[in-house]
Amino acid sequence: MINRRTFSRLGLALAAGSALLGMPALAEDKPAPFDKPGDVKIALVRYLSTGDFFQAYLAGVESQAKALGVQLQVFDSRQDAALQADMVDQAIALGVQGIIIQHGLTESMKEAAQRAVDAGIKVVAFDVNVENDKIPQVEQSDRDLARLALEQAIKDNGESWKAGYVYVAGIAPLDRRNETWVEFKKKYPGINEAAMFGTLDNPIANSVANQARSVVTANPDITVMFAPYDEFAKGVKIAVDEAGLSSSVKIYSADISTADISAMREAGSAWAATAATNPAVVGQVSVRALAMLLAGEDPGKQVIVPPTLITQKDLNDNDIKNMEELSAKLPQFAHADVAMPAWMPNPNAK
Amino acid sequence: MTLRESAIRYGFLALLAGLVIFFSLATNGFTSPQAAVFILQSVSLTGILALGVTATLVVGGFDLSIGSIATSAMMAAAYVMVVLEQDAFVAVLACLAIGALVGLINGIIICYLRVPDLLATLGMMFLLIGLQRIPTEGRSIAAGMTMPDGSTAAGQFDPAFLALGRHRFDFILPDLVPASVVVLIVVAVLIWFFLEYTRFGRLMYAVGSNARAAEFAGAPVRAYKIWAYIISGVFASIGGILLAARLGRGDIASGNNLLLDAVAAALIGYAVLGASKPNAFGTAIGALFVGVLLQGLTMMNVPYYTQDFVKGAVLVVALVFTFSLSGRTAR
Repeated sequence: MINRRTFSRLGLALAAGSALLGMPALAEDKPAPFDKPGDVKIALVRYLSTGDFFQAYLAGVESQAKALGVQLQVFDSRQDAALQADMVDQAIALGVQGIIIQHGLTESMKEAAQRAVDAGIKVVAFDVNVENDKIPQVEQSDRDLARLALEQAIKDNGESWKAGYVYVAGIAPLDRRNETWVEFKKKYPGINEAAMFGTLDNPIANSVANQARSVVTANPDITVMFAPYDEFAKGVKIAVDEAGLSSSVKIYSADISTADISAMREAGSAWAATAATNPAVVGQVSVRALAMLLAGEDPGKQVIVPPTLITQKDLNDNDIKNMEELSAKLPQFAHADVAMPAWMPNPNAK
Repeated sequence: MTLRESAIRYGFLALLAGLVIFFSLATNGFTSPQAAVFILQSVSLTGILALGVTATLVVGGFDLSIGSIATSAMMAAAYVMVVLEQDAFVAVLACLAIGALVGLINGIIICYLRVPDLLATLGMMFLLIGLQRIPTEGRSIAAGMTMPDGSTAAGQFDPAFLALGRHRFDFILPDLVPASVVVLIVVAVLIWFFLEYTRFGRLMYAVGSNARAAEFAGAPVRAYKIWAYIISGVFASIGGILLAARLGRGDIASGNNLLLDAVAAALIGYAVLGASKPNAFGTAIGALFVGVLLQGLTMMNVPYYTQDFVKGAVLVVALVFTFSLSGRTAR
């Protein structure tokens, strides 16, 4: 144990020296209960789990739990709202000290979350509103995501252009991104939304590509496509390529994955920029917020993980080929200085 | 021919022509060679899957696993090239082999283990949705991806493979017809000829209309049924190959929407030319019908849920055509 700690401190010191991570990382021992982290059990109760985003989120949760040295139990309800609520009760019965609720429906999770709180368990919620004052909300800021992408679109294309917009109503993060789009249209009257389309039929990229082909055929003078979800953007890119319009259309999106990076970097790619929060960082922040609660500290009512703007140029200039290189070469993407009290181990410092 | 008979026979084709005329007037750019080709491209996937499921409908069966066979083939193609670093030829072979194998297993479960077709293929659907995620632990496959063990995949999508989804042949205009449309047309003509004009195809119809009679007549009923599922599996895997070539990556997806669209196209096909039975020509027209409808509605900025509604309405009308207007006596 002493050896490991010495090494990790050495590593932290090196990291602090090179990346200016700051001195607090070297601070004193951790507060209870993390002085004996092996006795701490936490649970992650998931509603959504398939897809790259959720895989990366889980990896982030695991890495932060490992850095803290706590035991992690993962419950996966696979989009079964009733089962997810049951899983919270299971976690309570298992005697965990903390629970992270990842997505879900307000209606089904509100009472389950309250039961956990009543049982003396600390709870944080990611991207689901359980309407409980004792439960901090971890959120990626969808409004900021959309804002960053749109500001870049204004920077690249000026204040008036004809736009295509991909949107499916009723999906909470997309609705929040939509609010920003509506604001931008008001703020810049020169933006003309010629077409709005979108579908979640899977494979999403393929279905959106079919729609986008129709849209660009009907409106060949569209110059900007705002597709604030990477699957949408992929579909639009396929359509624009197939229609031979890659040089006249620019795509702005949100979210990122390894596949997105290669699509953005293709020669002559229309995909100009995307704004993204690193899902692994969101996972880490979720665990850290929970750890702060367990240590008797207050992470705040809302724990917002800030997004990063990633342009085609960034990727090309730094020769970034996948998510790992993105984290390595854009440090603001790899780590968010959120819910980071002095004693918190940083899982990214090796 | 009475009015009623001709309505049954040509009603659907007339409706299709009417739709084309309506969209040409209502939107810009609907009537261009590019738009026509694009409609074919957008239906190429569901069309190929629908033609495969038609083969199982012909023998009186059903295949719910085609959507997930297609997405599994897509994942397999991506895995073979990106992770195993093989070329396009190996990837295509692997996909076709998977399609044939899954079809064979479906057929054996249905014919020899006597599980009802809907249940057997439903089970296979779930199995494949899970199986396609196991090799990469649920990740989508793209060049440069990180593997579960932390290393980086070294392979790339073979340009020859991508050409299957992206290459365009010169036809009237340069670079007009995408490879996937050519595949659709070839596959459609093949299965149409096979079902209508070969002894094998005719016997498949015989098995479908009365399996017992066909058996008494000496036809190896089980073999014909198993072949139908193999055809369906192989066609679905061809669809998966085209999907992978278009997307340029292996996307985890259940393929349920592909399944539903394909089944819709095959069922609409019952109504074409008053056939009242599964037939390849009708299936192709059914797929085209859905494609024209969706392309036109999207160009008119109609939101996706309305499109689903319209698609469903068309299916209901087609089924009414088939089962009510034409009665069960036709042919």
